[in-house]
Amino acid sequence: MDKLFKKILVANRSEIAIRVMNACRTLGIPSVAVYSDADAKSRHRLPADESVHIGPSPPRESYLDIEKIIAAAKQAGCDAIHPGYGFLAENPAFAGRCAEEKITFIGPSPDAIALLGNKVASRTKMAGAGIPLIPGMKGTETDLDVYRKAAETAGYPVIIKAAAGGGGKGMRIVHDAEGLADAVDAARREAKNAFDDDTVYLEKYIVNPRHIEFQIMADHHGNTVHVFERECSIQRRHQKIIEETPSTALDNDTRARMGADAVRVAQAAGYTNAGTVEFLFDQSGHYYFLEMNTRIQVEHPVTEMVTGVDLVIEQIRIAAGLPLSDHFRNLSQRGHAIECRVYAEDGEDNFMPSTGRIACYREPTGPGIRVDSGVTAGTEVTIDYDPIMAKLIAHAPTRELAIRKMIDALHNYKILGVKTSKKFMVDVLSHPEFASGRTYTDFIERNMVDRKLDMGQFKELAVAAAAAASSFGNRRSPTSVTDSGAGRTSVWRSVGSWQVGDLIHE
Amino acid sequence: MSTGEFVFEDGIISATCEKAGDRLLVKIGEREYLFQPIGENLFSTNVNGAACIIGVVEDGGTYFVDIDSVLLEVTEPSEDGFAGGAGSLAGEKDKVFAPMPGKIVKVLVGVGDEVAVRQSMAIVEAMKMENVIVSRAAGRVKAVNFAPGDQVDTESPIIELELGE
Repeated sequence: MDKLFKKILVANRSEIAIRVMNACRTLGIPSVAVYSDADAKSRHRLPADESVHIGPSPPRESYLDIEKIIAAAKQAGCDAIHPGYGFLAENPAFAGRCAEEKITFIGPSPDAIALLGNKVASRTKMAGAGIPLIPGMKGTETDLDVYRKAAETAGYPVIIKAAAGGGGKGMRIVHDAEGLADAVDAARREAKNAFDDDTVYLEKYIVNPRHIEFQIMADHHGNTVHVFERECSIQRRHQKIIEETPSTALDNDTRARMGADAVRVAQAAGYTNAGTVEFLFDQSGHYYFLEMNTRIQVEHPVTEMVTGVDLVIEQIRIAAGLPLSDHFRNLSQRGHAIECRVYAEDGEDNFMPSTGRIACYREPTGPGIRVDSGVTAGTEVTIDYDPIMAKLIAHAPTRELAIRKMIDALHNYKILGVKTSKKFMVDVLSHPEFASGRTYTDFIERNMVDRKLDMGQFKELAVAAAAAASSFGNRRSPTSVTDSGAGRTSVWRSVGSWQVGDLIHE
Repeated sequence: MSTGEFVFEDGIISATCEKAGDRLLVKIGEREYLFQPIGENLFSTNVNGAACIIGVVEDGGTYFVDIDSVLLEVTEPSEDGFAGGAGSLAGEKDKVFAPMPGKIVKVLVGVGDEVAVRQSMAIVEAMKMENVIVSRAAGRVKAVNFAPGDQVDTESPIIELELGE
């Protein structure tokens, strides 16, 4: 096939940068990586054809610096930029700058990003499009009486939310009329601090919902489809940990209705490229539009595993002006896929962020096992960025088999040198409530709070393993990134300094 | 057969290890553990009748062990020539020493920095090999006693920490 773009700059890092570069390579398009000081030896530089240093480690001075990214793209001669997720992916100013520089932004238009990034504006828009919304205010108000009336109509408990943000900031749950005034004030203050915008609004607070989202893909020729749902209810402090598809909560009829509504949401927003429509699904089976995310999402692999499509390749094709690929019509879900996000957090110690050097790294393999990783042996895990190290995905013909496959894969995934959340996820997957499909957003609070691991029971086995390793000669002096555990007598250690591309190995 | 002492949390445990065919037999007190090497850094063993895959690697004086996703650390109390260890001074977690006499290539932290356990602290070159010295405790850097280019021995601390979060 003809090259769709001359060169694509991937404005991101870690596993998603690698994911995008893999798609570029499949399409025969050269890719350019960007890296900060902390990422000089990161794994995501390796699959790129070139890499450009964009500044010091803090995101503000590197991955979030619009002008540096644009400059890097121009310097390298790129005619397109893929923003990944996070960082500048949902920044309308960035998408606008790309347009100004005649660089194709692989994603939706700046207007769609701006509309859907504002919770109040998108609620108002979707109300007009007849999409089921969480009962509450359609727009923002400053008059407290309006809040009171809205709360009474929706029924307590209610939640005050910030128009400009998410992640729990600018949010207050209110259980009765007495707490309303204070909550609105507090939410406004927090929103102003976090997002420099104190616009808030009120919605009914849905207790223990399920979080079900639909993948959207839309081209520039008027074709918009959904690629089914993902269930993302296993969350900790608004951070997703485990996702799966299909959702155990949906029958075919509900799925079809939600899918159709998701498409209508995208069309109402004039949406193009990949996006995700989020719904809250309450205990009585009603669903409500929550928001639309205007980027490729972390959990996109589970969708790819059950439908067989490649969402990132399609993103690039759509951005190049091609119509939706034929295989995106007549989609069906086959089997069941689960994703576990492997974080550098100690799942046995309140998820304390863990740093350190990965001394040993082995990925699990096998039919239906996929690993999207941003780390490898030798990677220094620091606290500069999001602690996500890798995603582990398992696909099997049934949900039960997918769960078993995932547990086994987690055990076989050996990442030594930092603490991870692996054991925690094994325990979630092994829990009878998970097996029965009762996955609500309070799953972790409800089922995982009293777990306490008695490390003492493994003490001798761990010492025995250390003794065996010591005797077997598994020791190695920690040296460079390229030392993949081959031991003291490895021929690579006698090679000295060497270079591949523009990445120097010492 | 080899004998070694290992530290887990605050206790010292003695273990012997010998080859048993293509497997390794480890004895701790009266108990026996049989390990089958199945790959780089990987052993298979049997725990209460169930197969268990253990990942283990030594790095900077610490053995990182993954037993069915449970992560544990075991250290060796005596100096043995590997990076991060410190001979009879092994008890002093708040100081960072060179594993063998050499030259400081780079110091990676500064006075006042908060460091985490196993964080890389300095690079020492010895016998044409570079060793990354890691911290064995979390704390704040109290002193950096050497600079790039300096020769160091194994007795003088390169970096000193004030322990605790």
